[in-house]
Amino acid sequence: MLLGRNKKNPIKLVDKGVVEWRYTTCGYCSTGCSIEVGLDDTGTAVSSRGVADADVNRGKLCIKGILEHELFRKTAGRGDKPLMRDYRHEAFSEVSWDAALDKTTSEIKRIQETYGRDAFAVISTGQIMTEEFYTLGKLARGVIGTNNYDGNTTLCMASAVSGYKRSFGSDGPPGCYEDFDHTDCLIAFGSNLPEQHPVIYWRLKEALEKRKFPVIVIDPRVTMFAQMADMHLAITPGTDVVLLNAMAHVILKEGLQKQDYIDAHCADFEAFKAEVERWDPLTASQQCGIDEDTIRNVARLYAKAPKAMSIWTMGINQSTHGSDGVVAINNLNLITGNIGKPGSTSLSITGQCNAMGTREWSSCSGLPGYRALEKEKDRDEISKFWNVDPDFFPKERGQFMTDILPAIETGQIKGLWLVATNPMTSMPNTNRIRKTLEKLEFLVVQDAYSDVETNQYSHVFLPAAVWAEKEGCFTNTERRVNLIRNVMPPNGESKPDLWIFNELAKRLSNGKGPSFPETAEAVFEEMKVLSKGEDRILDISGMSYAKIEAQRGMQWPCRDGEETGAQRLYADGKFQYPDGKAKLIPLAFVDNNEKPDEEYPFWLNSGRVVEHFHTRTRTGKVGNANKFSPTPYMEMNPDAAAELEVMHGGYARLTSKRGEAVVMVQLTQRVSRNMVFIPFHFHDCVNRLTLGLLDPHSRQPAYKQCSVRIEPAADQVAAAAANAAARAY
Amino acid sequence: MFEPRPKEQPYAFVPKVEHPELNRWGQSIETVPEGHDLRGQSLNINGDAAVSSNPDRYKQHGFYFNADNCIGCHACEAACAEKNETPAHLAFRSVGYLEGGAYPSYTRMNISMACNHCDDPVCLKGCPTLAYTKFAEYGAVLQDPDICFGCGYCTWVCPYNAPQLDPVAGHVSKCNMCVDRLEVGLKPACAAACLGNALDFGVMETKPENRIQAEITIPGFPDPNITHPNIRFQQTKTLPREMTRTDSNPLRYVRTSDNSLPRNAGEGGGGGEYQPQPMLRNEKLGWGLKKLSTRENPLVVFTLISQAVVGAFLVLFFGPLFGLEMLAADAHPIARPAFLFGMIGLQTLALVLSTLHLGRPHRFYRAFNNLRYSPVSREVAGIAVFYNLLGAYTVMSAFPQLGQWLSPAWLSTLTSVSGYGAALSGLAALYFMHKIYRIPARPFWNHWQVLTSFYGSMLMLGPLAVGLVFAPLADDGAVLLGVLAWVVVAGLVLELVGLVFHARDLQRMGGEGAAAHQVQTTNFAYTYRSRNAALGLALLALLSFAVFFPQGTIGLVAWVLISMVAIAAAAVGRMLFYALVIPTTMPGAFFWRNPAFQEHARETGLAKMPQVGVAMDCH
Repeated sequence: MLLGRNKKNPIKLVDKGVVEWRYTTCGYCSTGCSIEVGLDDTGTAVSSRGVADADVNRGKLCIKGILEHELFRKTAGRGDKPLMRDYRHEAFSEVSWDAALDKTTSEIKRIQETYGRDAFAVISTGQIMTEEFYTLGKLARGVIGTNNYDGNTTLCMASAVSGYKRSFGSDGPPGCYEDFDHTDCLIAFGSNLPEQHPVIYWRLKEALEKRKFPVIVIDPRVTMFAQMADMHLAITPGTDVVLLNAMAHVILKEGLQKQDYIDAHCADFEAFKAEVERWDPLTASQQCGIDEDTIRNVARLYAKAPKAMSIWTMGINQSTHGSDGVVAINNLNLITGNIGKPGSTSLSITGQCNAMGTREWSSCSGLPGYRALEKEKDRDEISKFWNVDPDFFPKERGQFMTDILPAIETGQIKGLWLVATNPMTSMPNTNRIRKTLEKLEFLVVQDAYSDVETNQYSHVFLPAAVWAEKEGCFTNTERRVNLIRNVMPPNGESKPDLWIFNELAKRLSNGKGPSFPETAEAVFEEMKVLSKGEDRILDISGMSYAKIEAQRGMQWPCRDGEETGAQRLYADGKFQYPDGKAKLIPLAFVDNNEKPDEEYPFWLNSGRVVEHFHTRTRTGKVGNANKFSPTPYMEMNPDAAAELEVMHGGYARLTSKRGEAVVMVQLTQRVSRNMVFIPFHFHDCVNRLTLGLLDPHSRQPAYKQCSVRIEPAADQVAAAAANAAARAY
Repeated sequence: MFEPRPKEQPYAFVPKVEHPELNRWGQSIETVPEGHDLRGQSLNINGDAAVSSNPDRYKQHGFYFNADNCIGCHACEAACAEKNETPAHLAFRSVGYLEGGAYPSYTRMNISMACNHCDDPVCLKGCPTLAYTKFAEYGAVLQDPDICFGCGYCTWVCPYNAPQLDPVAGHVSKCNMCVDRLEVGLKPACAAACLGNALDFGVMETKPENRIQAEITIPGFPDPNITHPNIRFQQTKTLPREMTRTDSNPLRYVRTSDNSLPRNAGEGGGGGEYQPQPMLRNEKLGWGLKKLSTRENPLVVFTLISQAVVGAFLVLFFGPLFGLEMLAADAHPIARPAFLFGMIGLQTLALVLSTLHLGRPHRFYRAFNNLRYSPVSREVAGIAVFYNLLGAYTVMSAFPQLGQWLSPAWLSTLTSVSGYGAALSGLAALYFMHKIYRIPARPFWNHWQVLTSFYGSMLMLGPLAVGLVFAPLADDGAVLLGVLAWVVVAGLVLELVGLVFHARDLQRMGGEGAAAHQVQTTNFAYTYRSRNAALGLALLALLSFAVFFPQGTIGLVAWVLISMVAIAAAAVGRMLFYALVIPTTMPGAFFWRNPAFQEHARETGLAKMPQVGVAMDCH
């Protein structure tokens, strides 16, 4: 030692005694980081580390991934035993799996027999394994036969799906993270990578350090991403279509478009051009809040860049113009020839770890493997494959989640099965959802956590395994199918979702109809068969669990015989419409946002923080993540707060046309004078206020555009007490 | 040895680069030269006797933080927490931020900070148990929680809040530079985890690839001249002229110079020099009584009692030499020893309180381990010597019968020696007691006013106590009080002079000191003014005593009243001393490392959930 003791004790550092590392993929966001979970000699998960040779994250993890092994700890609120009660005002009784599953089965049958097949609805998630989605789809469409079957992806990705389908004829994000390494210009619309997808941000940062290119961030708030960008466009909420139309206007007016690409690969250029003609920068600037110089500058920059790419997340999707916003971004990329090439793409950054899986295989919006109920050919193919009468399938998709809930509200739907989703916290207008769920004759909640708030209204609770307590695949933002190996046995008596689906299938189908393989890998093999096809982009027939693990994930399409997956879609300019062309779609814009007015003078914006995921059923219990945002709070501009005498660290009361909420205030100049921002993760908070006006195409709620009124909480002590009491975690 | 990941990526390894011989303060970057005894030894990590072959083992390493790039994603904090299994209420590495500008020209600068493994580790020097060691290997400063007894002094002296006192476990722990990873050539877990390409690590005075700056400070970072920390920064983006904190520390940072003029080497950050200035969110005048009571209340009692006891002893022992015969050993053969035993009783209480203030009181004997450097060790030693000599003197002067066993001459000599010894050691102990508070990282305390306050209390409280007991007993009590009054006056004058200069100097120095003074004159305004008035009042009253020599009951009653006022003033003053101090702290975030939120969480019961990350303060 240089200074200190001569005789030293041994240096004690934590040694977790890991004897084995198991391969998994993260169960939070859709970046799709490969994680190894370390087990000690008692088989307990004690550590997590990034997989160094995985292409997606190259050994890096964000705060949630680094602490993910803590999910296996036996915390209070983890699902353990099946629970049941006759009325939701009664206490739950712990019951056997047989009792719970029998009850669920009998209720589904009773409701369907009494009120019709569609009177029982199923709403699933974006966070279970792809094999489980496929199985649930088989069960919902092939056995239960309800057309009121959707996923919570309607709350996050439906606009992206809808936009892709409208523009390209099919879902499927065409780009990949490697595009950062090739691009000459990046625009991020309503995406806050450092908070939402930190490892994707790192990939971008690495690319920028090797080869600097301009980054433009479009966001009403000054996020860290906006700070790191070369240009930050502080756009008026809900007006992205206006900005995009104006950019297209500039590009066409100045002849900067790639006309030969348009002529070869796009349809309906003239109609599009006519609409765009109306959106000159001056008109646009008055609606979207971005001055005309900036609009022209950005449009020229994008069009003149040899390769340019757009990314977006919820700022675009969660709006009444979400689908249009995605189409507008696709339009921009199509007219500049920026689709399907390295560095040129229109890449939607997906939210949940397996929202892609549900889009690909769950049959919510159609039939598995990007097939459609509307196509007779597809109905015939799947009905044969599943050993089901083709007439059992409806001829078009049913209601979206955000229409299913109003149908419950007015009594058209009597029963609901929720899988790994928490509408009590994640749906807009919390009070309305409470009243809606009260109306159900039967609600069964299947979740890894019995303290998920929606469980307050259920009659049966089916405890499910979380993340790597089971095995299967996720697909990430860049179409990379990746594997989760089983790391630990499910908690208590909880079971993998696959097992639960199979058990219900047994009871509901009485052995008729589709077969339900027992293992995830067997289901995967079945999916491969369905995916195979030269003209199918969603082709995974070249994959296997062993190959996926060895390559640390494989992008689809990966056809039978191919060794690796394809990095990009539409590289050949052939899209999924029958004529092989993408559609340029004219986008009229009517501002139907609930804008601030005299009575409700503030925009209410909501979004994420990096330390939490969704409704905090997991991260709310991981101390070293939760502590960074342990209680709900609101970002408010100090100048606006001074006028209202709202204090930093004090409590404010917000009211909207839906209701009220009380929240702690954080004053910061990060938000404008007429906007506040509340992270959506906390139960009984921001969604008490939100309107969630639905996009006409995607039925996705507008979480980020509504108005509120703010005043200091009259009794600060009572407000603090109410806040502390409102949540169990 | 630490097991690296298979196919580990290049970013995870400490690069092998050329480095200068000396760091910018003239310290050799090579920690020990070739052939030195300390070379070739095992770090003995968890008992592993292996010796790493890392060729850079004997070079000072440190963190490199690029404030232009940090996105505040917490990956570094999480990686550290995962590796070291720290509970939610504690972290070796923390990220906070400064903000400036108005929407949309708003800037947030995030700062990630752990331990800087300083050239001059004040934690090591301050620690009484010698729980810290600066190793030749990597220049790492490592702390041993098994030796530590949780006094928390290191948390006071470190300007960067690196050591973490765990109120639950009762000891301190801190960043260990992931020396197990360093031994196999890997960067610490935090640097390897960074997602913004902000936090990095390497040999000192080397820059990572693509970096252009290696500054010694950034806005919000305490003066690097205190400890010569081994951390370098890049911060080239223009920042707003004024940056504020979101936590409750009443400071802002104002740019006092910019880059248009040449700077001397070692001065200021990239965009200019930022100085901390006071910024109170709430400038309402008040008493501040709620905040007056702190975790350090036992130290209020301990310091006041110790000072009173030393003062009383000095008066008793030296009093007869100045004509106060009523204080002599034979004057009151029962009262005097009783008084002395009373003093010992009080001092014992004080020592017990101060020991219980430790996180692990049963390890109290380790306080003597660092007499070489630590003022805490020296003070404990001083008080221990004083206590024992006081005891010896008391016993010997109380029981002249001992003269039969020892010779009376011996008894007399020993009594004298222990008396003089107690006097000297008492004075020395109080001197070291004040040195404990001369902490550069706590500007409010780092002033000679602490000495005048401690000696002032000694001169005030001791004589007051003696007067209270002996004046009623003596025939010429008024004479006693008359003389003692001068001593108390001296104490009051010392105290007041110190306070006046303290107030003046605090305002001049800016930063945390000025902020503390502003808090003193606003949130605690009435308490502060009352305390000052009480001191002034006591001074006037005692001067009149010294002039007019009030007799009999009037004199006694007056003395009692003055004592009450003076003791109250001293107590309140000492509580202000602990309550007002604003340490240099790294900027916190809104919840994490925000004292206001921690207090709120405890008050409202949020802290009962461990995942909120606030320990219900168990003491």
